[in-house]
Amino acid sequence: MSRVITITSGKGGVGKTTSTANLGAALAMQGLKVAVVDADIGLRNLDVVMGLENRIVYDLVDVVEGRCRLRQALIKDKHLPDLCLLPAAQTRDKDAVTADDMIALANQLRAEFDYVLIDSPAGIEAGFRNAIAGADEVLIVTTPEVAAVRDADRIIGLVEAFEKGHPRLIINRLKPRMVSRGEMMSIDDVLQILAIDLIGVVPEDEQIVTSTNRGEVAVLDRSSRAGRAFSEIARRLAGEDVPITVFDENPGILNRIFGAFGIRARGSER
Amino acid sequence: MGNVMSFLDTLFGKRERSSDIARDRLLTVLVHDRVKLTPDMMEQLKADLSAVIARYVPSVDAGAIEVTLLRGESVDHLKADIPLRRTTQKF
Ligand SMILES: Nc1ncnc2c1ncn2[C@@H]1O[C@H](COP(=O)(O)OP(=O)(O)OP(=O)(O)O)[C@@H](O)[C@H]1O
Ligand SMILES: [Mg+2]
Repeated sequence: MSRVITITSGKGGVGKTTSTANLGAALAMQGLKVAVVDADIGLRNLDVVMGLENRIVYDLVDVVEGRCRLRQALIKDKHLPDLCLLPAAQTRDKDAVTADDMIALANQLRAEFDYVLIDSPAGIEAGFRNAIAGADEVLIVTTPEVAAVRDADRIIGLVEAFEKGHPRLIINRLKPRMVSRGEMMSIDDVLQILAIDLIGVVPEDEQIVTSTNRGEVAVLDRSSRAGRAFSEIARRLAGEDVPITVFDENPGILNRIFGAFGIRARGSER
Repeated sequence: MGNVMSFLDTLFGKRERSSDIARDRLLTVLVHDRVKLTPDMMEQLKADLSAVIARYVPSVDAGAIEVTLLRGESVDHLKADIPLRRTTQKF
């Protein structure tokens, strides 16, 4: 049974595209056939995050408007043979597709892939509605900030109104040190406010910037804490029971000492 | 007054953690978002509530009423905490 999962948010810039690329790659690394779809029409991004921007010939709108077959528009990933990208159109706007087009497209992709991950534009407008139209499940990304959580709350209400079941939450860019100093809302604060299920926590990680610069996803880099967090989320998505770990910043001296005694040093379970 | 307090709080290390402030602000703003209740209307609600309660329970402490919005599984809850002054009765 293939699954179509849309990754969305209320506020922009919280990490949807980063999450889509990394979760797609992580699932493909598990040997699953995965398509990632850039539904942010007019603001194409997923291709550059994955380093595939030079290979694009056709895009999503070309498929929808019948200028090419789906197969022709799908781009194979550089590293992972089981991962494909369907890029967004860059020169069109979101009115170029309808919700029905997206449902039809999702169903076409279902036939070929185990997982279809759709990168949604931010906000509550047509682009968002189209992006969730064909989805079976929805993941909502937020950062632990007031504006992002507020907008996430709004989106959760909409997703539930569209009868997409209960969305699950990714908390991105968490800084465990700031949380422990009481300078950033904790996972529990955010969950209490939003009252939805958590699927994972991704720490703030400079390696996201460097890997994005290179057009390589962080899950390919074993030393990336964010990459490890995304790999765990992918395993949870696939149904594995993986406890939620918060990968801390460079372990401090205390952690290292405890680490020497075999106490889990880099991550702490919630 | 507020400034002096916050200065003293900082001095004695009692300054409220910014994460707590963030959480409280969010809860307030979400009340507005979800129920379309402005802070002004909220104050009015508290005043009306205490007036009604006071008709039946004279010991109601109007200033200490707290109305909060909690999100539940399928419904939200508008929750009022209405403290009553403990009258020094002799038994
Ligand atoms: N965990 C992280 N650590 C550090 N930087 C991050 C992290 N997650 C995302 N970023 C950075 O934040 C920026 C926004 O991320 P991204 O493009 O994935 O967000 P988005 O939600 O897709 O944005 P938009 O709403 O514009 O589509 C990018 O520069 C990305 O590299
Ligand atoms: Mg994006």
